[in-house]
Amino acid sequence: MSSPEPEMPKTYKTAKAFCLTSAGWFTMATSAGMIGAGYLIAPDFMANIEWIHFGRIRPIHVNINLFGFVTPGLLAAAFYFLPRLLRTELYSEKLGIVSCVLWNIYVFAGVVGIGLGYTQGREYAELAWPVDILVGISFGLVVFNLLMTVRQRKEPILYVSIWYACAAVLLTATTYCIGNVIWRPDTGALLGIPDAIILWFYGHNVFGLLLTPLGLAVAYYVLPLVSRSPLYSHTLSLIGFWSLLVVYTHIGTHHLLQVPVPTWLKVIAIVDSVAMVIPVMIFLINIWYTVKGKLGVIYADIAGKFIFTGTIMYFFVNIQGSIMSLPQVQRVTHFNNWVVAHAHLGVLGFAGMTALGGLYYILPKITGKPLYSRFLADLQYWFVLIGVVGFTIGLTIAGLIQGNAWINGEALYRVLPEIHIYYVARASTGLLVAIAAYLGLYNVIRTLFFNPGVSR
Amino acid sequence: MYYPYFLAYMISGFVISLIVLIWALRNGQFKDQQRARFLPLEEGLETEPAKVSKIGKIEAYALIVLASLGLFGTAATLIFSLLKGG
Ligand code: HEM
Ligand code: HEM
Repeated sequence: MSSPEPEMPKTYKTAKAFCLTSAGWFTMATSAGMIGAGYLIAPDFMANIEWIHFGRIRPIHVNINLFGFVTPGLLAAAFYFLPRLLRTELYSEKLGIVSCVLWNIYVFAGVVGIGLGYTQGREYAELAWPVDILVGISFGLVVFNLLMTVRQRKEPILYVSIWYACAAVLLTATTYCIGNVIWRPDTGALLGIPDAIILWFYGHNVFGLLLTPLGLAVAYYVLPLVSRSPLYSHTLSLIGFWSLLVVYTHIGTHHLLQVPVPTWLKVIAIVDSVAMVIPVMIFLINIWYTVKGKLGVIYADIAGKFIFTGTIMYFFVNIQGSIMSLPQVQRVTHFNNWVVAHAHLGVLGFAGMTALGGLYYILPKITGKPLYSRFLADLQYWFVLIGVVGFTIGLTIAGLIQGNAWINGEALYRVLPEIHIYYVARASTGLLVAIAAYLGLYNVIRTLFFNPGVSR
Repeated sequence: MYYPYFLAYMISGFVISLIVLIWALRNGQFKDQQRARFLPLEEGLETEPAKVSKIGKIEAYALIVLASLGLFGTAATLIFSLLKGG
């Protein structure tokens, strides 16, 4: 049995740096989202500003969200809980800071690059080749730091969060390079259909092998702590981890069901997309049993509240995902706003909410002082929740109208006026999310740097 | 011919996972699971638990109602798609 007196890491500089990174880019991402939403309401909105027209602001929005806001938010928590669960110090805080600085440089360079028109034009793989290399190096440094921390651990057993966090960064470091075809700097692409397949292998892995495992790692760490209950079953959680690895790694082709890719690949993708129910329900049953009867306590804690809500969104996005992978259903839902609703439900509702919960959990611990304002954090929670629910409802309805029209062979231009109102609704609820991001940044900066709270 | 590359990619992922799984089994990662359940708690319970409030409970119920509505919406859409899309 290991000693009950753990050796505590001292500074948490890396976790702090990633907190700030995430909160900062969240504001930029939502601002870009608002501009994008504006174009969809009025296409000549800001018409003459080339570097933010829709074709550029959309990938800017998406890339900042994925690599600027959500991933660093989840990594901040990982840099906190890894050393604690392993009863050791982070292998190198200096390396951590270097990786965080590089991380910010690549997000910034990527955004400026896309704004200037330097894009490889493949969704989720838009970043130009030199930026891809920076991404690879940043992920590589994070992987090295985390694995070396595991290596010097004093706790022999690896808690499930460690498995998830390490797998997430390791797998992404690899699939990022493969999916971005970094051995072809000129195009960053293969030719023809193989390119679509390799792109979606990677594209889906961004959600399935980066955001999902990192999000689950944070939930598995924070929810038992907030509810003060041990995990319902650690064995079950490990079975969930391994089944996720087996099932999630090759379902990317469900993005290409209406493309002439080989049928066997589609079959693998569909079968495994449905089989995703197994790891998903394993996680949910495990975590919901862990917090069973403790909802009051969970809701009294700001981090618990965010992350528990994230688990509910996780349930929905995955059930929806499995259903969307059925060809019959996708005939209605593909190529329209339904998918955009699913995307926001997953990336913001599940992964983003979990990242915010992770930040609020660790901020008081790494600064040694209470959060600057619980009220602001509560406000942020409700704004984000209303925003996600609003996006999901509005865009799903718009998607169904579009899908129905598509099946009935209606002309596109006749459908656009019908869905206009839903675009207005999206921008309105989006405004709440954008305000929430700025409130969050203020709260994080005050907590980190100008916190009058009493030290613990 | 690009299938071999994809197959190689999928198989290599599977083989690496298998190697790590075998390492985990040999290393005793699946033993002592009872203690493993408590690992976060052993480390982190240094603060007082948050106080349960009535508003918190109402918020939780609000979320459950929202989730039920979502479930209903999902079921309705599935039925709609299967009727229309097939
Ligand atoms: C069981 C798990 C899941 C399955 C089976 C699934 C399935 C799908 C499918 C079939 C599509 C393509 C829809 C189409 O183009 O018609 C899709 C798109 C998408 N999914 Fe999921 N999903 C799952 C979980 C998630 C999660 C957890 C996230 C976020 C963390 C997520 C984020 C996205 C995003 C962002 C897209 C949009 C991709 C694009 O740009 O076209 N998904 N998903
Ligand atoms: C101010 C709030 C937001 C607004 C107004 C907004 C708006 C938009 C718009 C207009 C698009 C393009 C949709 C299209 O092409 O039809 C989009 C795509 C996307 N957004 Fe947001 N967004 C917001 C917040 C977020 C956040 C916080 C996240 C993630 C944490 C996010 C993740 C995504 C993703 C992954 C896509 C790609 C969807 C796909 O390809 O299917 N958004 N958003």
